[in-house]
Amino acid sequence: MIIKENVCNNITTINLWGTLDATTAPTLRNFKSAAAPADPVVINMSDVDFLDSSGLGALVGLTREKREQGGEVTLACMNNKVRKVFEITQVYRLFDIYDDVEAATINAEKKQTRL
Amino acid sequence: MKTLIIIKEKDYAWLRPIFTGIHPLLVPICNKPFIEFLIDFAILAGSDALRILSDGPLSDVEEYCDNGSRWGIAISYGSIKSSDETLLIMEKNHRYCAGERVLLMNGFVFIEYDKQHNYTALFAELPDGEILGCNKGSLSLRGTPGERPKVAGALPLSLVELDSLEVYYRLSMEILSFGESPYVIPGYSNEAYCHIGRNVVISKSAEIRKPVIIGNNVQIMADSIIGPLAVIGSNVIIDKASTVTDSIVLEKTYIGEQLEVQNRIAAGNILIEPESGISIAMDDPHLLTGIKKSGSAEILFQSVVHRLFALFLITVLLIPFLLLSPILKFQRKWKKSTGSYYINDAGKTLALTTTSINRQSLPGSIAAALSLDRFGLLFNVLSGQLAIIGSTPIAAKTDNSVPLLEMGSWYKAGVFSYAEAEEWPANGDERAIVERYFAVHGNPLLDIAMTIKAFFNLIHEIHTP
Repeated sequence: MIIKENVCNNITTINLWGTLDATTAPTLRNFKSAAAPADPVVINMSDVDFLDSSGLGALVGLTREKREQGGEVTLACMNNKVRKVFEITQVYRLFDIYDDVEAATINAEKKQTRL
Repeated sequence: MKTLIIIKEKDYAWLRPIFTGIHPLLVPICNKPFIEFLIDFAILAGSDALRILSDGPLSDVEEYCDNGSRWGIAISYGSIKSSDETLLIMEKNHRYCAGERVLLMNGFVFIEYDKQHNYTALFAELPDGEILGCNKGSLSLRGTPGERPKVAGALPLSLVELDSLEVYYRLSMEILSFGESPYVIPGYSNEAYCHIGRNVVISKSAEIRKPVIIGNNVQIMADSIIGPLAVIGSNVIIDKASTVTDSIVLEKTYIGEQLEVQNRIAAGNILIEPESGISIAMDDPHLLTGIKKSGSAEILFQSVVHRLFALFLITVLLIPFLLLSPILKFQRKWKKSTGSYYINDAGKTLALTTTSINRQSLPGSIAAALSLDRFGLLFNVLSGQLAIIGSTPIAAKTDNSVPLLEMGSWYKAGVFSYAEAEEWPANGDERAIVERYFAVHGNPLLDIAMTIKAFFNLIHEIHTP
């Protein structure tokens, strides 16, 4: 699992590459973002080729932590395999899911401006 | 053009208690799943891609529609939150919506259209914005239109809010009333007002009065009257001298003998009055009134016939069994397992040794075609523990609780099952329907005919890829 982070206009985009499973979930869980705690985060999932319950747990944990700090996590560009995991577990109810990183970023920016 | 279908759980919550286990988008309207009407309309409107968005689960819809190749349209799926407004939904699907006009079907509404009309040309002329709207949903166009000429005349379209059972019933009856249907309706239709599905058996003395729609695998028995205005779903049996008029019989329903179903929706064991929504759950799960137990002489005769036929099968299959079973055992393609099964409706159990044959080799294929996996069970028929043909044996539960719904008074475990003979799915409710039917109509000689049929069906099954 490779994690890369871009910060632009106070919006952090986290790009994930590879498999998000029991072995790689701790990497995401322990990932320390350079962004301010209350800044919104967009997670680009386009290159996540596998996701299991541990990976899902890491994503939910990250989101919960962010929300506690006043921030928000948005997911973008889920492929079909990953979307099916969200569908089975009904975790999609917890997230705002976009099919485009740019649109997710713009929307996160809009939300932040409104605040 | 692309299409977005947006459907939220709150819009279809009313459907859940009636169509349990069916996704609202798959609820049949005149034997056609609701989603297919929407897909047809999207295609007529000139869409080459369609995305279904919901705040609820879509896995059943996805399983049914897959990627849309069956209709020649690319279907994708997405999730939204129940609080999402249309604009935000469009933003969430920005990549999908970018660059093309988007037809938005919002809400749990039925679009009344005419398949003969050129909607592609019509929508090309229409400006962006709402085309039609009602309390429960809307139809609108978003995107960048080319030209914006004024559209003359009324639109050949309307929306029906699907918000109650009465509307559902009225809509079905309305669709049924069209001689040349404006929709594509499943089934063969050589004449107006009549659509009949595959594998439908209609008795000579049964009467079909148009307009009528009949699904697949339907049996209509002697002296029954179907229609006018009857929608009969798939896997339905209408028994002798019954009448179905102004009604919808949903799939997997058994209408017993001499019943009159008028102005009702029948779904399994529930009869619903569409106007009031009042429903009656019948004690008998399939509206079957009083299965009579056979007399002792009849039971004895049946038992003798079954034993004689089992003896005949043992004689015929003995040599193939002696030749093939050692080979398959040696190849480890003959696997035995022992389990406890219910053998009658009283919940009596018996340890049965079942055999599974690996059909990958020629001996395995021959052995399976000859039903040699059932050979050992034939001896249980000789001892009177099993019937030669009856119900599929139900595995006994370890907690000794008898599955009452599955095991009615008709239950008698058999070496072959009626479901196999009739090529009905060998599990679930569909199997139960056919078994109940033969519990009422069966007799020893018919049993022999059904056993032979099951035997040959199994041969056919093995040789069909």
